[in-house]
Amino acid sequence: MSHLAGTDLPIDGRLRLFAALLGASFAIFELRLFQLQIVDVEALREQALRNSVRTARLEAQRGEIADREGRVLAKTRSAWQLDVVPSDLQKRDVTFAALGQLLERDSAELVAQVGNPRGIARFRPVRLAGDLDDVELARVETHRFALPGVSTRVRPLRHYTDGAIASHLLGTLGEIRSDQLEQEAFSDYHSGDIIGQTGLESILEPRLRGRSGGRNVMVDAAGREVQVLDEIAPEAGSRVVLTLDLDLQRAAFEAFHDVPEGEPPKMGSAVAIDVRNGDVLVLLSQPSFDPNDFSGGIDAKTWKALTSDEWDPLRNRAIQNHYPPGSTHKPFVAAALLQEGVVSEHTRTFCPGSFYFGGRTYRCWKREGHGSVDLHKAIQQSCDVFFYTFGVQLGIDRLANIAKSFGLGQPTGIALSGEASGLVPSSEWKLRRFGERWYPGETVSAAIGQGYNLYTPIQLAVAYAAVASGQRIEPRLVLRIEGDEGVLEMPASATTPVAVTPERLALVRAGMTAVVESPGGTGGRARVPGVRVAGKTGTAQVVQLAHTEGMAESQIPMRYRDHAWFGAFAPADAPEIAVGVFVEHGLHGSTGAGPIVQRILARYFEKRGMTPPPRQVAGPVEGLRRAEPIREEPRAVD
Amino acid sequence: MPSIDRRAFQHFDWLLLALVWTVVAIGLANLFSATHAGAGDGLPSEFRRQLAAVAIGAGAMGGVLLIDYRRLERWAPFLYLAALALTASTLLFAPVTRGNRSWLVYGPLSLQPAEFAKIGLVLMMARYFHRHPPGTLRRLRDLFGPGLILAGPVGLIVLQHDLGVAVLTLLIGATYLLFVRIPAKAWAVVGVAALASLAGLWSFVFKEYQRKRILDFLDPSRDPLASGYQAIQSRIAVGSGGLTGQGYLEGPQTQLQFLPTQHSDFAFSVLAEEWGFIGCTLLLMLYLSVLVWGLVVANNSKDGFGSMVAVGVVGMLFWPAAINVAMVLGLAPVIGVPLPLISYGGTQVLANLTALALLMNVSMRRYIF
Repeated sequence: MSHLAGTDLPIDGRLRLFAALLGASFAIFELRLFQLQIVDVEALREQALRNSVRTARLEAQRGEIADREGRVLAKTRSAWQLDVVPSDLQKRDVTFAALGQLLERDSAELVAQVGNPRGIARFRPVRLAGDLDDVELARVETHRFALPGVSTRVRPLRHYTDGAIASHLLGTLGEIRSDQLEQEAFSDYHSGDIIGQTGLESILEPRLRGRSGGRNVMVDAAGREVQVLDEIAPEAGSRVVLTLDLDLQRAAFEAFHDVPEGEPPKMGSAVAIDVRNGDVLVLLSQPSFDPNDFSGGIDAKTWKALTSDEWDPLRNRAIQNHYPPGSTHKPFVAAALLQEGVVSEHTRTFCPGSFYFGGRTYRCWKREGHGSVDLHKAIQQSCDVFFYTFGVQLGIDRLANIAKSFGLGQPTGIALSGEASGLVPSSEWKLRRFGERWYPGETVSAAIGQGYNLYTPIQLAVAYAAVASGQRIEPRLVLRIEGDEGVLEMPASATTPVAVTPERLALVRAGMTAVVESPGGTGGRARVPGVRVAGKTGTAQVVQLAHTEGMAESQIPMRYRDHAWFGAFAPADAPEIAVGVFVEHGLHGSTGAGPIVQRILARYFEKRGMTPPPRQVAGPVEGLRRAEPIREEPRAVD
Repeated sequence: MPSIDRRAFQHFDWLLLALVWTVVAIGLANLFSATHAGAGDGLPSEFRRQLAAVAIGAGAMGGVLLIDYRRLERWAPFLYLAALALTASTLLFAPVTRGNRSWLVYGPLSLQPAEFAKIGLVLMMARYFHRHPPGTLRRLRDLFGPGLILAGPVGLIVLQHDLGVAVLTLLIGATYLLFVRIPAKAWAVVGVAALASLAGLWSFVFKEYQRKRILDFLDPSRDPLASGYQAIQSRIAVGSGGLTGQGYLEGPQTQLQFLPTQHSDFAFSVLAEEWGFIGCTLLLMLYLSVLVWGLVVANNSKDGFGSMVAVGVVGMLFWPAAINVAMVLGLAPVIGVPLPLISYGGTQVLANLTALALLMNVSMRRYIF
């Protein structure tokens, strides 16, 4: 028993109280420890795991796209990216000055790009360059020891080997949009994912994408990776082999660019398909753009230039635009006239250079007239009066029915999004669209393709292929898909017979062959040595004649120039390939579009071994042979 | 001149020494685990600094043992005033660190004088209660003297805006209230005064973030990313320790540095995660043993001053330990109070080893009378 000095008061009672206080406190702590560490241990361990384990996605390598001969059109390559982690920077000024020199960029711009992030954002890397070339990479790597906080890493970058040559067909990549993220089809995508946004990249997204893997990593409180726990390897996307023939695509591309010095490249579209199976061999739209610009995220300047361009280079003119067909429409009118018994191959009419109907005069493109004309000559020389005369007898609805059986006025079913339907007018359509009956005078214009008719370039190619084979065929873009599970061969395209008998079609083909191969035909520009070519030219008026009459062609402003068409197939007697070429503001089907058809066909038959390679590099305006004088195209008159 | 009685050595308190140094060793090992993750090669700098403080503390302990503690009763007013002066000097010289001015910095050395003020307070209180035995204090006005002694350091620390230490110092002084025999009415007055001073602290001394911490404690989900973050992370770390712990240097929450101050205020959560319920219980039992042994020393001392020093030292260790452990376990708000001998902090280690040396000093001289 203890007593305080000088008193008889014991303190041990109070000491026991103190000891009890200590014991009680520690008992509470023990109880709390028991609760947390024994009772709640599972729940808290679960929370701890979520605290420190992050699942990182491993992107699958996007599948390659190749042409029909296996040449790579689009592949994913490794690009070196340069990152800066702001928290790890030491001497900011020195580092940015050095980086400016190494990358040959303004260091102030780099400083602005990194900014001054605060908090946890300081640990997140900022991308300063997305695609270092070898020289830049070597420079940065050799100096990196002196540049703390600067790092380089590899990331996948889509590369289009031939740049702008097939940009509309192949399409572009881009970050997934918020409205896409809400769709069922993108349910396993995440914000920030790069996906195919246009063209085949978009259509084939599920095939090309592959399956991404995952990696569980341990991270610290700042989100820095500390250790990899486990990993599921990604599955690469499938390789897609297209029906496209890069050689022909290139020939078409070059033909659009083969213009006299100082002139801009031609605009428009070329489509070539294999008549026998619908394989799309060429699908070109001009002007085009470089899809590589989109791969790493397009910069604002390039995007603005593309979207504000008067001629809309992002638009796929082969399928998204439709235009009045002009005289390329005539073979279908001719087929309808024969099929419906309005004319036979021997029926003749006289062309005095104009046609009088319903109180108005409709002019033939040839003012002096074609004289006595039968169907063959009418096609060969594109005589308007012949088609006016018998077209009125045929009537719009019978014409429309036959034309539609060739696939005109409806989507071809090509596996690309945004295809325009085109238009084949009928009386029923007019009533629906305008609430008005059809006037016979409108049939006159429709008979030469100048009325309401609208075709897309791909429709023209498909319809000409149908003239060639008697079968309307769905164009096919993909030959096969080579994935991990094996090779998937695409099924043959569906075909539908056209509503014209083969003998009658043969008469139309004969006329079309004469267009190219006979003196006096309008399509001599499309001749290919050693191969007989059948075709038809067309010119679609953009503004009324009065605006441009009397002007020299070269002085007509571009936007007022007529559109040029040329549809063709070859060999004429056993067709293999059909081509539709549209040149926007190309003036004449013969001179504007004919040489492009010629280039594509010549390259095709050169590869087939049926024609020698061209010796010359002919200017686009010079004919391949001295040939006949260039005929002027019809201009519709009302 | 320090003189040492042969009997004092014969009665040296080896048990207390062993208990204390076991705790110190655990603290060092734990600190190594808490700091080595981000440190790269070699010993972490916090660990090296702590090791140095422990070494200095061992020297101080030896020095204190050589002096007969009864001399300190005479020196107490001077030591008390010196500690107050040192504390006051922070108001003039100390840089503002994390919102308060409690650190004196001389080059690489930094010192928190408030820790020494506690020792000064204990010695001064022990002297007062030796001369005015607490059992004889039966009226409220008898508390005026000790209240004045307490007001000095507490006032200075409040001026430093060091909330945690101010409350602690108040509690250490209040420990002696256990021994007074004032009537119930007087207790009521003391209680009202305590409440009034708390309200005063809340309104005038606490900073916005400190009020926020207390509110966050009352409702931890209020703001899980800001000040509630520490409390939640601490609970997760403790709980995931389970029965036997994740293993030394193996605690994911610790090694991934999820607790912002895991080496100082949250050192106990590191121990809890890595050593589990068993490790925590062991440490708490060691603590309890030291504290109860301190009360035994107080009981066994034949000298009122010695008893009151021992009681003060127990208070000086108990309050921060209790508040810290309660905070780590989510039983108290997050206030910056280190766990004695375990948390990182050189001054704290030095002051606590010195205080424990006083306890041993009382213990070894218990038969000298």
